[in-house]
Amino acid sequence: MQTKRTIFGNRWLPYLLLAPQLAVTVIFFLWPAGQAVWQSFLREDAFGLKTSFVGLSNYTRLFDNAEYINALKVTLVFSVSTAALALISSLLLALALDRTIRSSRVYTTLLVWPYAVAPAIAGVLWWFIFNPTIGIMPYLLERVGYDWNHALQKGDAMALVIIAAAWKQISYNFLFFVAGLQSIPASMREAAAIDGAGPVKRFWTITLPLLSPTTFFLLVVNVVYTMFDTFAVIDATTGGGPAQATMILVYKVYDDGFIGLNLGSSAAQSVILMGIVIALTIIQFRYVERRVTY
Amino acid sequence: MAAITIENVGKTYAGGVPAVQGIDLNIRDGEFVVLVGPSGCGKSTLLRMIAGLEEITEGTVRIGDRVVNRLEPAERDIAMVFQNYALYPHMTVRQNLSYGLKNRGTPRDEIVRRVDEAARILEIGAYLDRKPRALSGGQRQRVAMGRAIVREPSAFLFDEPLSNLDAKLRVTMRGEIRTLQRRLGTTSVYVTHDQLEAMTMADRLVVLRQGRIEQVGTPLDVYRNPVSTFVAQFIGSPSMNLMSGTVRAGEVRVADAVYPAPGVPDGAVTVGLRPEDFALVPGGARAGMPARLVNIEELGSQRLGYFRVGGETVVASFPAGQVLSTEMTLYPDLSRLHLFGADERRIDPAPLRAGAV
Repeated sequence: MQTKRTIFGNRWLPYLLLAPQLAVTVIFFLWPAGQAVWQSFLREDAFGLKTSFVGLSNYTRLFDNAEYINALKVTLVFSVSTAALALISSLLLALALDRTIRSSRVYTTLLVWPYAVAPAIAGVLWWFIFNPTIGIMPYLLERVGYDWNHALQKGDAMALVIIAAAWKQISYNFLFFVAGLQSIPASMREAAAIDGAGPVKRFWTITLPLLSPTTFFLLVVNVVYTMFDTFAVIDATTGGGPAQATMILVYKVYDDGFIGLNLGSSAAQSVILMGIVIALTIIQFRYVERRVTY
Repeated sequence: MAAITIENVGKTYAGGVPAVQGIDLNIRDGEFVVLVGPSGCGKSTLLRMIAGLEEITEGTVRIGDRVVNRLEPAERDIAMVFQNYALYPHMTVRQNLSYGLKNRGTPRDEIVRRVDEAARILEIGAYLDRKPRALSGGQRQRVAMGRAIVREPSAFLFDEPLSNLDAKLRVTMRGEIRTLQRRLGTTSVYVTHDQLEAMTMADRLVVLRQGRIEQVGTPLDVYRNPVSTFVAQFIGSPSMNLMSGTVRAGEVRVADAVYPAPGVPDGAVTVGLRPEDFALVPGGARAGMPARLVNIEELGSQRLGYFRVGGETVVASFPAGQVLSTEMTLYPDLSRLHLFGADERRIDPAPLRAGAV
């Protein structure tokens, strides 16, 4: 791609213009990240009096720890389910919108609103809706014979955080799917219609493959989102419980570090998370931008 | 293979805007009909109504002996070639060609046979395993044609299929499409805004204007006897010169010259003359129009002279070597003189054609 080049008269000016952004990146990202890496090699004694270098011991301990292995599994289930739920429901909404000609603008605007809601607020919102005592959903579920209690039932708790987290992400996915659908030429679908493909067949053989770059991009973004940005949702609804059932990796970093004050282990966990996000970002840049074109 | 019968067909969009009105057209079996007109004349809408991509709000469309108004595009037994080709970008050429057959449950070996046959006819055998993005414009065009012919439909519908190609390729492809259509003998409806494409390809031309048929006829018939000033100007390049004239007592006066116009009622008329119907020497008793040369365009095979004639600009074409000077006299070929009334409709002074030369 051709980018426009600007020639600066003074060679220091571009650096000066970049400085604020670089300062923010260094102070709020690179420095703490560096500190986390350093801290992950250290261990503090119980009273915080002495800190000693322990090498990779924090890491090796993690993988012997049943709770950490559990958190890995919970994260996997949570990420995949949330991403799947968010992707499928937003695609259905986008398809519905694509068929609507009138007032599609109104729908788009309304459907984008949840994205503007802060994750913690979204969590509280769903916590109220599903509250076993006062919530509307348990009331309705009870009528069909289901006793909802996410404070006691592991499955219920997981379902709650998945729904709350997915709801937040649907708006974002929806926008990308709408744009993706609109970039498919109408003549493509018409050609398929003339070629004897019904609406369902058209969706599976034409629309979905042509949306694959969008879908793959969203999949990566969604997985990153569920792994990192869902902290507030978890904190506002289940707090990782019951019995570690919704203890995802990022929540465990917080729980071990700030509640348990095991700073070394917490740092090691955040370094592992950092590794995961770097890997996902590389995948996204390598594949989304190049390979997943048709 | 089938005839297409269009009876009193109209299309009104929601909000009451009529796109196409009162179209009556009989397309014979195996005929190549070109719908031509400026943008917004309803030609594409009409084609899409035949295809089943637009709802028909009035009248009936028959393909063969079936009324197809309520049938899905897939059930109409037609194939369409789109302006942007609409090739499926995620499928190889072979998959593109087989898609329609597969959807119809054609047996595997039959699909292979038909695809190979189409590839052979269109000379795209070498690219069968490529994806559309790895093909040039002309090759994509052929694949789009291939997708139409493997289906062996009753009719081909073409929606400006050549407008994305460069000028040279367009000329080649237009010949190829016509040759292929003659060979297959499939009824075809072809939409274009390019009058040259329309003239060169059509068995019959349908000139559309503002959603209505202005004239139907063979290319030469339309060229020689345009029914209105609109058709006269639209068909032919450079377009017909239209000058204002007055008829009095069976004679028309235009640009200080007087020509016979027997039987034409008195009043203001528009006089039409094609650029090639001027001569520089008087033939017989013809009167000339004094003309002042303004500009010359060299086309290689001929030269176009732009003249000021009685306050109007007139284009005349001459053989390549013709010497032109500033002040000249143009002698029109009276057998090719067209008269149009105040309603822009053609007036035929019948005896003029027979005797006046």
